Amino acid sequence: MSYLILSIIILLIGILGIILNRSNLIIMLISIEIVLLASTILLLFESRVPYTLCGQIFAIVILTVAAAESAIGLAIMANYYRLRGTISIRALNLLRG
Amino acid sequence: MYLLVILIPLLSAVGCGLGGRHLGRKGAGLLSSTWILASSLLSFVLCYEILINGSTVYVELCRWIESDFLLTNFGLQFDTVTAIMLIVVTTISGLVHVYSTSYMREDPHLPRFMSYLSLFTFFMLVLVTSNNYVELFIGWEGVGLCSYLLINFWFTRIQANKAAIKAMLINRIGDIGLMLAIILIWKEFGALDYCSLFSTLTPSSACTWICILLTIGAVGKSAQLGLHTWLPDAMEGPTPVSALIHAATMVTAGVFLIIRSAPFFDCSPTATIIMGLIGSLTAFFAATVGLVQSDIKKVIAYSTCSQLGYMVMACGSYSSLTSLYHLLTHAFFKALLFLGAGSIIHALLDEQDLRKMGGIIRGLPLTYVLMLIGSLSLAGFPYLSGFYSKDLILELTYNSYCLMSIYWLASITAFLTAFYSFRLIYLSFGSRPNLTRISAQHLQEADWNLLGPLVILALGSILVGYIAQNMVFAPGVRPLPLVPTIVSFAPVIMSVTGILLVLIIRPYIIFYITRPSIYGFLFYAWEFNQIANYYIGTKVWKFGHIVSYRAIDRGILEIVGPTGIALLIIERTKQLSSLQSGLLFNYALMILAGTAIALKCLT
Repeated sequence: MSYLILSIIILLIGILGIILNRSNLIIMLISIEIVLLASTILLLFESRVPYTLCGQIFAIVILTVAAAESAIGLAIMANYYRLRGTISIRALNLLRG
Repeated sequence: MYLLVILIPLLSAVGCGLGGRHLGRKGAGLLSSTWILASSLLSFVLCYEILINGSTVYVELCRWIESDFLLTNFGLQFDTVTAIMLIVVTTISGLVHVYSTSYMREDPHLPRFMSYLSLFTFFMLVLVTSNNYVELFIGWEGVGLCSYLLINFWFTRIQANKAAIKAMLINRIGDIGLMLAIILIWKEFGALDYCSLFSTLTPSSACTWICILLTIGAVGKSAQLGLHTWLPDAMEGPTPVSALIHAATMVTAGVFLIIRSAPFFDCSPTATIIMGLIGSLTAFFAATVGLVQSDIKKVIAYSTCSQLGYMVMACGSYSSLTSLYHLLTHAFFKALLFLGAGSIIHALLDEQDLRKMGGIIRGLPLTYVLMLIGSLSLAGFPYLSGFYSKDLILELTYNSYCLMSIYWLASITAFLTAFYSFRLIYLSFGSRPNLTRISAQHLQEADWNLLGPLVILALGSILVGYIAQNMVFAPGVRPLPLVPTIVSFAPVIMSVTGILLVLIIRPYIIFYITRPSIYGFLFYAWEFNQIANYYIGTKVWKFGHIVSYRAIDRGILEIVGPTGIALLIIERTKQLSSLQSGLLFNYALMILAGTAIALKCLT
C-alpha cells in the first residue's frame, strides 16, 4: 500500500512540475522523467502482487523509452537553444491561436 | 358563338398588343374596333336567344381545380343577368373603341391603348359569363389590373401613377372581402358554382357574414361610401377609359356581384338593410359633392358614384332586377356623358375646368344636344331611359319594409342629381364665355369617328329604358310598387325643380349661398381623403414604421436572426481561440484534465 501511495505522490510531483513550472525547459524534462519513474514503480509494485513477469518487462521497456525520450528531448532543446539563445518556456509561445 | 363573344376581345388584345408595331396606329384602331363591334353584334344575337326566346345556356369548358370536395370548372352561364351585362359591356366597349381611334389619334401608343381596352373587355366578359365564384374572381382581378394599366396609360405623369396605385390598392381591400366571402361560401355550402349553390341554399347564420363580405367586395369595386376615393382620382386616365371603365363597366362589377348573389341576400335581412343604407348614403354623399366640383370629369365621376349608390340601394330593397335595369340604362347615359365631356375637352384643347368654359354652344351644337340628352336622362326626365329605372327604384325604396330614411335620401339625391347635371350643362354651354382666345378660335366639332358613338349612345339613352323594361323583367316578375300618387309623381317633380332651379339661380351663386366653409367641405368631398390620410394612412404608416419595421424587423428578427448570430459567433470564436495560448504547461493541464474526465466517464 505504501508503494502505491509513494508512486502516486511521485506522479503528482511530476505532474505539478510540468504544470506549475514556467521558466525552465530542463525542469520540465526532469518532471517527465519523474512521471515515468512513478509509473515504473507502480508497474513493479503491480508485478509483485500476482507474481507475474509482465510488470517487470514493461518496466524495462519504459526505462528504454524514457532514455530515448530524454535523449531526443535534449537534442530538440539543444537545437532550440542554438536558434533562440534561451530555453525559457515563457518564450515558447510563438504559435498562439 | 357563345365562346366567340368572349374570345374575340382576347384575340383583339393579343393582336394589338403583340402585333401593334406591324399594324401601326391606324391598323390597330381599325382591327380592334372591328373585332369588338363584331363581338357586340354577336352579343345582340345572344340576347335575342336568351332574353326573347328564353333559353339559358350553360357551357362546360374544362376542369380546373379538383381536390377532394373542391370542384371548380371553367364554365360559362348565359342567363338573363349575363345577357344584359353582355349588351352593356360589348356595346359600350365597341363604341369606346371607335371613339378612341379619333380621340387618341395623336397618341403614339395607340396600339397599346387598344390592346388594354380589348383586354379589359375580355376580363369583363369573363366576369359576367362565369358560372362559379372562382372564375368570377379571375375576371374581377383582371378588370382591376386593366384599370391600373389604363389609368396609368400616360405613365410619365406622376398624378396618373399615384391615381393608378390608389385605385389598385383600394380595390384590393374589396378584393379581400370577396375572397373571404368565397372561402366562407365554400366552407358553409361546399359548392362554388351558382347552379348547385343556389339550389341548395338554406338560410343559416353564416349567410349574414357571407353577405357582409360580399358587400365589402362590392363597396371596393363599385366605389361606395368609404372606399370611393379612388374613383374621382381615376379621372387622371384618358377620357375613353373613364367612359368605359369608371362609368359603364368596371364599377358596375360590384353591383353585378350583388345581383348574382341575390339569393344570399334574400337569406339575410340584416345585410340587406346595411347594403341599402350604404347605397343611399353613397348616393346622397356623391350628389352633394357633385354640386360644387369644378373639373368636368370629376362632376361626372361623382355622379357615377351616386348612381352606383342607387343600384346598391335597389339591391338593398330586395329588387336586384331593378338594379340591373338601372345598370343597363345608366351605362348608356353615363357613357354618353363621359364621351360628350371628352368631346368638349378635345374641342377646347384639353381644358377640363368648368370655370374656363361657357358659351361653347355656338361652336359645338351637336355635342350640346347629345350632352343635353344624357343629362336629361341622368336627371330622370320623363320618358327618357333614366326616368324608367330611377322612378322604379325610388318607388321601391318607399315601398320596402325597412328604413324610411333610405327613401328620403334617395329623393333628395334625385333633386341634387338634376341640379348638378344641369349645372354642368349651364356652366359649359350656357353661361358667358370664359375661354381663352386660342381655344375659342379652334372651337369646332370633331370628326364622325368621335361623334358617331355619341349619337348611337344618345339613341340608346332615349330608347333603352322603354325597350328594356319588357326584357329585364320577365312577364309576371316585374315589381309593381303600390305607392300613393304623390310618391309616384315626386321624382319627376324633384328633377324638374332641380333643372329649373339651375336656370333661375345661376349655379355660380351656389358659392355665395353655401358659406365658403361648407363649400370647401363639399369641394374636398367631405374631407374623405384627408380623413383617410390623416387618421388611417398616417397612423398605419407610423405603426408600420415603429412596430413592424423598427421593433420587429430591424429589432427582434435582426437580433435573433443574421446580425445577432454573427456577432455571437465572432465573440465565441475569439474566446475559443484564446484557449490556444502557445504555452506548454497550459496544454499539459488540458491534456491531464481531459484524460481525467475521459477516465471518469469510461470507468
